[in-house]
Amino acid sequence: MAEPGTDEPSSRTGSPDGEGQVSGERLLLHQRLAVRELIDTELSYLHVLRLCASDIRSSLQQLPQRDLDVLFSNIDDVIEVNSRFLHDLQETASRKEEQVHLIGNLFLECHEELERVYKVYCASYDQALLLLDTYRREPELQREIQSIIEAVLPQAGPSGLSFLLVIPLQRITKYPLLLQKILENTVPDASAYPVLQRAVSALQDVNTNINEYKRRKEVASKYTKVEQLTLRERLARLNTHTLSKKTTRLSQLLKQEAGLVPRTEDKEFDDLEERFHCVSLCVTEMKNNVAVYLDNLEAFLCFRPQEYDLDIPGGPVVQYCSLMRDLQLQAFPYFKQRLKGLVWQPLCSLAKALAGPQNLIKKRLDKLLDFERVEEKLLEVGSVTYEEQEARHTYQALNSLLVAELPQLNQLAMRWLGQILCTFMGLQRELAQQVLQRAEGSLAQLPHYHLSEPAFRKLVEDALGQTGHQLRSFQENFEKVLPPPTVQPLLPGAERQVQALLSRYGPEKLYQVTSGVSGAGTLDLTLPRGQIVALLQNKDTRGNSSRWLVDTGGHRGYVPAGKLELYRVIPRQEEVKEQEWPHKDSRHLTPAPVPSVPVVTQVVAVYPFVARSSHEVSLQAGQLVTVLEAQDKKGNPEWSLVEVNEQRGYVPSSFLARAASPAPWGWGLPS
Amino acid sequence: MSWIPFKIGQPKKQIVPKTVERDFEREYGKLQQLEEQTRRLQKDMKKSTDADLAMSKSAVKISLDLLSNPLCEQDQDFLNMVTALDTAMKRMDAFNQEKVNQIQKTVIEPLKKFGSVFPSLNMAVKRREQALQDYRRLQAKVEKYEEKEKTGPVLAKLHQAREELRPVRDDFEAKNKQLLDEMPRFYHSRLDYFQPSFEALIRAQVGYYSEMQKIFGDLTQQLDQPGHPDEQRERENEARLSELRALSIVADD
Repeated sequence: MAEPGTDEPSSRTGSPDGEGQVSGERLLLHQRLAVRELIDTELSYLHVLRLCASDIRSSLQQLPQRDLDVLFSNIDDVIEVNSRFLHDLQETASRKEEQVHLIGNLFLECHEELERVYKVYCASYDQALLLLDTYRREPELQREIQSIIEAVLPQAGPSGLSFLLVIPLQRITKYPLLLQKILENTVPDASAYPVLQRAVSALQDVNTNINEYKRRKEVASKYTKVEQLTLRERLARLNTHTLSKKTTRLSQLLKQEAGLVPRTEDKEFDDLEERFHCVSLCVTEMKNNVAVYLDNLEAFLCFRPQEYDLDIPGGPVVQYCSLMRDLQLQAFPYFKQRLKGLVWQPLCSLAKALAGPQNLIKKRLDKLLDFERVEEKLLEVGSVTYEEQEARHTYQALNSLLVAELPQLNQLAMRWLGQILCTFMGLQRELAQQVLQRAEGSLAQLPHYHLSEPAFRKLVEDALGQTGHQLRSFQENFEKVLPPPTVQPLLPGAERQVQALLSRYGPEKLYQVTSGVSGAGTLDLTLPRGQIVALLQNKDTRGNSSRWLVDTGGHRGYVPAGKLELYRVIPRQEEVKEQEWPHKDSRHLTPAPVPSVPVVTQVVAVYPFVARSSHEVSLQAGQLVTVLEAQDKKGNPEWSLVEVNEQRGYVPSSFLARAASPAPWGWGLPS
Repeated sequence: MSWIPFKIGQPKKQIVPKTVERDFEREYGKLQQLEEQTRRLQKDMKKSTDADLAMSKSAVKISLDLLSNPLCEQDQDFLNMVTALDTAMKRMDAFNQEKVNQIQKTVIEPLKKFGSVFPSLNMAVKRREQALQDYRRLQAKVEKYEEKEKTGPVLAKLHQAREELRPVRDDFEAKNKQLLDEMPRFYHSRLDYFQPSFEALIRAQVGYYSEMQKIFGDLTQQLDQPGHPDEQRERENEARLSELRALSIVADD
């Protein structure tokens, strides 16, 4: 019987049968040892990890949290995964015969999870190392860290933290080796053999993937940064190296355009790129449109029609104002805020996230041109420099990275965009709900709440029609309040002029100027207030009916129609007694008031006069007399025919008080 | 109205009783206030409805641009969603336009009509003022002559002045009375005038938002989107962002 741990070289030279049996048993022994090793090392590994994560990490209080996150990365996830793994491993120990089979299966089940968790840790390990380097430069800090580690894990030795942090990396690479060892010690026809084989290759793949992931992350982080450089900074970056790079690429591109060199067609990539481009466009457009929508919403909220006070104490006006106030203070701002937070912000984040890939795509194209040149050179010359090789690798890394991740990016971006759109719709619905909720109260109080919409519209139309009438009547009433009547007895000359116009044109054509007219054009008249004119035409040569052609007795010209009023002339003396003095009834101001200035005047005698003949009549000072004619039979204006005390006779005109001169006739009368 | 400088001296007695003047100024003052408020209200209403239209149009643009993106040809689900959204937006825009037309007809036009009475009123008040001026002037003249020694010429002038005064005074009294009657009636008419407009306004808004609720309610149901609380929506957005950031090609910052 073979004893565990002893090596019996002599048994190898035994008989074939015995040898087969012995080697079989030895195989089994070694297998058991290998399994043992797997489980034991897993146990101690986990133990160390736990110490790192809890004791050591919590003692490193002098380091900022940011740094601790970089150093320890996702060690908690690693511990979690590995604890479960260990537990499952230990369980297999109970099933002796199938243990190896089970172990193989376990690895096959877990390898994806292991990859997921370890790749993150491995990718950030380099950064952790960089951080540790900076610590090494501070001896004080270094000593402290060292002492903490020594207290917890003395076996860590002088390299301290870096020794500890690299352990997970070592572990994940160890798994394929440990499995390989078990595999070697398994008979090929055991049921576990193929399982173990697959497990080995699976774990090898895990490591390959982790490396690839690491490399891509490095390439990506180098090129995704969208740098905002000023022109000056860009120029500063130019040197012979970059210039030559750019010119090389440009010439490559030109060669392609000219057809001298075949372009590398990559349909798969082109499709991905096109889709990405559409997604990007979608996001940008949506972002811009939402921005405009938000601006319009802001503008809408500026206007507050409900703030005006019509001094109406109740009814729909008040209800409207309180409803709108409520909406403007609460419902709309809330909607705006939600829109900003749940639609606008995510769109901005999404757009920003797409900027990195856009940059990478651009870079890929540049690198592709480099790549193609290098390929050409390779064909021609057969070898390339180290830098050229690097360029090839960079292109390949970029390309594979993009091809691998663009589909997912497109899908995720579309999914998010869809969600944002649905949110937008939901917000609209909820706004409407809010408004309706708040309007419920006001709506029920409206007087015509029960009416259907068409009936209500008819009602409003009728109501507005009625009130429209009322308004018109108000307007008319106000317009009836007319300018004051012109009560101006005329000067003698004016009387004669009026008589002349009257006899020439007839009474219907006489108008009086209501306020001073100053003519602008050569044909426009300048007339004072009170002047009498005769209408010749009630429009001008161009058909403008607000400009009338009149005759003043001496001149003809245009005056504005609005300044003329019909002048009702009292016929001559004989009829004056029978004619009524037209009453200005103060209650009914008619549109064309009658400024009835009789040609016959009543005046006051200023001085006493004693009649010397039967033709004359005596006057007393202050006496009221009626002037019948302002001249004697010979036309001499120095004498006036008056009637006083039922007697008629002539008196000197100068003894009579004439009407006080009306408004100063500043402008010259047209003579 | 005492800021108007008089060319001829002031009459000795107060020709218009203080109470009358006070009443007049109070009534006219109220109407001036109302004029200002209705004018500004009309302007704001117009601007508000213009902004409302602009908002609706920009909402339509959102879905229109989405619809014209080539993604719609490639992705059936996306096309369905965007088409549904576009239909909804266009319908809402049509309702909005109708709402604005209704507001134009039942609120803005009436406001304009109401405001158009004020120029006539103001002119009428000016004319009353002018009449008052003339009245004061002639009254002062009469009083001037009344105080002088009663000679012949003076008496003649006095008589003349009284003759001139009479119609002017009558005219002023008439204008004053007319305005004092009409102004309060006009002011009061605002009550009946505006209530229908504002009732129509409320109903127009409620009608529009009812449609909005229905259309977007149907839409969200069709697209199988229950109403999530805001915190959940925010968390989902965070989750989407993290997913994107997990990709290497997306820059972390």
